[in-house]
Order: sequence, then structure tokens, then C-alpha cells
Amino acid sequence: MSENVGGVPEPQSRGSFVRAPREFYGGLALVCVAVFALWASRDLPGMRGFAFGPGTAPRMFALVLAALGIAVAATGVLTKGPGIDRFYIRGPLFITLSVVLFAWLVRPLGLVIASFLSILAAAGATPEARLIETLVWGAVLTAFCVLLFPYALNLPMQIWPNSWDLAAILKGLSSIR
Amino acid sequence: MLDLLHNLALGFGVALSPMNMFLCLIGAMVGTLIGVLPGVGPLATIAMLLPITFGLPPVGALIMLAGIYYGAQYGGSTTSILINIPGEASSVITTLDGHQMARQGRAGPALAIAAIGSFFAGCVSTVLVAALGGPLTSIALLFGPAEYFSLMTLGLCFAVVLARGSILKALAMVMLGLLLSMVGSDIETGQSRMAFDIPELSDGIGFVVVAMGVFGFAEIMRNLEQTGTRDVINAKLSGLMPTWPDLKASAGAIGRGTVLGAILGILPGGGAVIAAFAAYTFEKKVSKDPSRFGHGAIEGVAAPESANNAAAQTSFIPLLTLGIPPNAVMALMVGAMTIHGIVPGPQVMTKQPELFWGMVASMWLGNLMLIIINLPMVGMWVKLLQVPYRFLFPAILIFCSIGVYSINNAPFDCVITAVFGLVGYWLVKHDFEPAPMLLGFVLGPLMEENLRRAMLIARGDPTTFVTRPISGVLIGLAVVLLIAAALPMIAKKREEVFVEE
Repeated sequence: MSENVGGVPEPQSRGSFVRAPREFYGGLALVCVAVFALWASRDLPGMRGFAFGPGTAPRMFALVLAALGIAVAATGVLTKGPGIDRFYIRGPLFITLSVVLFAWLVRPLGLVIASFLSILAAAGATPEARLIETLVWGAVLTAFCVLLFPYALNLPMQIWPNSWDLAAILKGLSSIR
Repeated sequence: MLDLLHNLALGFGVALSPMNMFLCLIGAMVGTLIGVLPGVGPLATIAMLLPITFGLPPVGALIMLAGIYYGAQYGGSTTSILINIPGEASSVITTLDGHQMARQGRAGPALAIAAIGSFFAGCVSTVLVAALGGPLTSIALLFGPAEYFSLMTLGLCFAVVLARGSILKALAMVMLGLLLSMVGSDIETGQSRMAFDIPELSDGIGFVVVAMGVFGFAEIMRNLEQTGTRDVINAKLSGLMPTWPDLKASAGAIGRGTVLGAILGILPGGGAVIAAFAAYTFEKKVSKDPSRFGHGAIEGVAAPESANNAAAQTSFIPLLTLGIPPNAVMALMVGAMTIHGIVPGPQVMTKQPELFWGMVASMWLGNLMLIIINLPMVGMWVKLLQVPYRFLFPAILIFCSIGVYSINNAPFDCVITAVFGLVGYWLVKHDFEPAPMLLGFVLGPLMEENLRRAMLIARGDPTTFVTRPISGVLIGLAVVLLIAAALPMIAKKREEVFVEE
């Protein structure tokens, strides 16, 4: 697959050359990932005699990925394909927000507050959500989670903040770990 | 033969303890409950429920996981039939005739025949796993690093070939998975690789983190794009049990599906998807009136459902004996096992026989539990499907967040999961399939280790992979497979069956 890569010219004006944008940009992104991996593993020692070094396999996989990425991008130039599907912002944004919020709050504030706020944030992902409904459902779910994970499954988790001292909480909030 | 009986007896002795039976029942129940949610396939279900098993002893945990697995599998079939949303790839085929049956008011027989077919397939393949586990283990002992590497290559090629769409893209996904698996510490020197001094990455990216992000979160993001268009059938489920002609028509289909499924399940990377697909195609070929298929033919439900269950079962063979996960779900099981300190492979059988045979026995038990739970509860599952998505997804999300957090008590793992969620969303938008990536991700460290050892033993001569006979055959198969799949004619054929309705 990688041998025909050299024969494909880089498109000058992308718009007219790209006939299958999903392939083309998808392939390019993979090439970027591969290049990034090559950069990230630049310090790792390579082969010593017959023996692989820590850097050999990552570089090998990265190079093959780069070649495949170029090949995928090339099919985007050579063949016709559907345009890129619309990316929705709202769903992914609020989903991510909800998860990150949970991660940020669970240590300093405990499971109850973190879960509840995380559920509220998640509800923002859909226009169908109603305020009162969400508050009630959030409370029910939070209660269920608290009963299920720390109590029923006995997982070690902070349920409420360690202390209600504002300074300590703020200190905890300064880091996501 | 006596050995087989003895071993099965040992297994049932373990599995039939009241505690383990209870765990299996709970697992099957919860698995079905979560698996029946649209958009939550077995992979996400197992990932989500994994934390429940953490506090259990290894045998109990694995038995519960087996229950969860079958439950999730059946739950996926239920949504295929009732609302035309396959819970996972292997029940895509079931939607063709199953949903048509449901539309004709015959959802009851369709659900029942799926359960009955699965149970029959489960019984046969449990015996098969017990019978073949031993011999395959002795084969496993012939395997050196070169053979393992080649076998895993073959497995990855299967994953590539079976993925939908472009083979080139699937290959790229496998490679991306391999590359991602390199993050963490080097196995020999312990040197940190591509971890950027982030402590949570120093041990590598967690499997659950990747799986939950790329499958679970990305799926939610995608589902949120369509608002309120889920096609739930409101017609009453009249007559749960299939009639006598139904049973007669499906008996042959169940038998053939079971055989096909059991064989294909053993192949690394084959798994349940191709089994269901092959069984459906075969059934259509042998049918006297192929035109009925796609319009509610009961054989079109019975065959793929039996096949995917048989395959799901026999795919434990490569997992338990060779330590090689044949598909993404099994890969998750490997992850689960390692969390419990069990390294799957030939040693499991000899060093922990009660674990191995207990698991084999629990497969049958899991199937039994399924049929007990599901036949009377079909009506309830339908109710659950009527829960609006705006209530459903925050619940799924918070369970996932807590689940990921609980693995290492590391909040940052949740952030990484969120990132993988976005990655998964992007992949879907560009028609990249995440399943091959996940398989590559799981096999990556194993492949690297065996590659390094094999090269060292062969003194840096890469031809060792072709000149050692077993390894050569495996590599040859992989090459043939890729070439065959690359021929566009076959790709076209594959699509045809999905399009035909």
C-alpha cells in the first residue's frame, strides 16, 4: 500500500482535489498522530544489535501508521466519497463538560455534589431537558449511585467533603488530580 | 472422555455453589438490564459493570462476568427485535427478520426463539469448549514467541477483514491501537514512553478508559444528534410462545447456526459477528423459499441468534487456552482477568483448574439463567425501552464516570476517557471503525513482547516468522485473508447482504 504513495502528488488547491473528504482529512489526521508519536518517542533508544530498544516498536508502528494514513488520504483524492457529516457541538461539549466536572469535583467535594452537578451538566447536552425534571432525576440518580457504589459495592469513595473548610476545598479544587 | 466428565463435574461443583449461582444470576440479570438499553452494547455493559466484580474473589468475579456477558448479548438481541436498534454488531443480522416479525405482532415468538436458539447453542458449545480446551492447550505449548506473534497478526487481520467499510482504514485503526498501546513503561527497561510525565499515563492508558470513551461516550454523543425518533413498537406482545410450525421451521436453522457459530467462534478474530452473518446467509441459501427472508422469516432469527451465541461461547477457547482475545469483548474480559490477577493462557487450565472449569460450567449456567430470566420478562424489557433518552443518557454517563474513577481512584482517568469520547466521535464521523483499534490496543503489548523475543531468539533474522512451520502457516493465512478481502468483489458481496432486505 505504501509503495504507490510516492506517485500521488500533494494537492495544490485542496477544494478541487479532495473528492472524498472523510478519507482525505481522516488520513491526514492519522499522519499527524504518527508524526506526533515519532516526535514524542524521539529520545527513546532504538535497536542495540538484534535487540529491540524501548523506542523500536513505537517508531515502527508510527511509521506504518503514517504510511497507512497517507494511503487513506490518497484514496480521498483518487476516489469519490460522501462529504463530512455535520459535527454537532452541543452534545459532545456538554458530555465532556459533565465528565470533566465530575473528575474535578469528586475528590474535593465528594461523590454526592460531584454526581449531582455532573448530571445537571449532562442534561445540557439535549434541548429536550426540563429544569425541574432534571433536578429531580439528578437527585434520584445521585442517591442511587451513592447507595450502589460506596455502600453496596463497597468501593472506597469520598461521599461528602472531608471538611467544610473553604480554604481546604479551594486548595483541592486547584488541581484535577 | 472420562477426563471430560471429570472436569465438567469439577466445574459444575464450583459453579453450582449457591454463592456462584447467585452471582451468575445477578450478572445475567444486570447484564440484560443494561444490555437492553439502546446504544449500550455488550462492550459498554461489561466495561460499566466491571467495577461491581472488583470486590469478589476471582472465580466469583469471572462467573459473574460470564453472566453479564450473556445477559448483555441477549439484551442486544432484544433491542434488535423490538426497536430495530442492534445493541452490537453481532445482532445486526437479527434486525432484518426479527424486527419484521415484531411489526407483524410476532415479537413474542421472535424473542422466545432467540432465547431458545441461544440456549441450545449454549448447551452444545459448552461441551465443545470443555472437549477442545484440553487439546488446544497442548497445541498452545508448541507455540513460541514467533508463533504467538503470527497468531496475533492473523487475529488482527480477521478484525480488519470483518470491519465494515474500507480495509485500508481498518488497517490504519489497528495500527493506531498498537501505537496507543505503546504509551506507558517499556516492558524490558521500564523506561517511560510517550507519557509526558503524566503519572496516570506512566502505567499505560487503561483499557476501560479507551473502551468506554470510544464506544460508550461517543455512542451517546451520536444518539443525541437525533431527537425523539426511536421506533418503539406499541402493539401488544400477543402470544409469547412460538407455535408448533414455528418450532419445526427453526429447529434446522438452530442446528446449522450452532455448528457454524461454534466453528467460526474458535478462529481468532472470527467471533460472533461473522458467525451470525454466515448463518443467515447459509440459511437463506438452503431455504426452499428465500424470498421470505427479510419479511419476518423465523429461521432468519433462529439461525443468527444461535450462531452468535455459539460463537460467543467458543471464542472463550482462544481466550482461555492461548490467552489471545478474539474480539473486542473478549479483550475486555482479558482486561477484567488481569485486574483480578489472572493472566489468561495455558497456565490458567493447569494451575487454576477450578477457575477454568468453573468458568466453562458457568457458561452453561449463564445460558440457563438467561432463558429463566428472559422468557417471562419480555414485557418488562419493552417497558424499559420506553424510558425517554433524556433520562437514560445522564444515568449512563454518571455510571461510566464513577466506574472509570473507581478503577484507580484517579479523577484524571475520567478526563482521559472524555478525550477518548471525542476521539471516538471524530472517528465515527470519518467512517473509521473503533473496534479494530481496540483489538490492536489490547494486543499491542503482547505483540511487542513476542516480536522482541522472537527477533532476539532468531538473532535479528525476520524470516523466522515465515520459516518456522506453524508461524509460516499463520502468516500465510493472514496474507491470503487480506488479499481475498482486498478484492473488491468480495467487499461488494459483503455489503450486499447488509443492504438486501
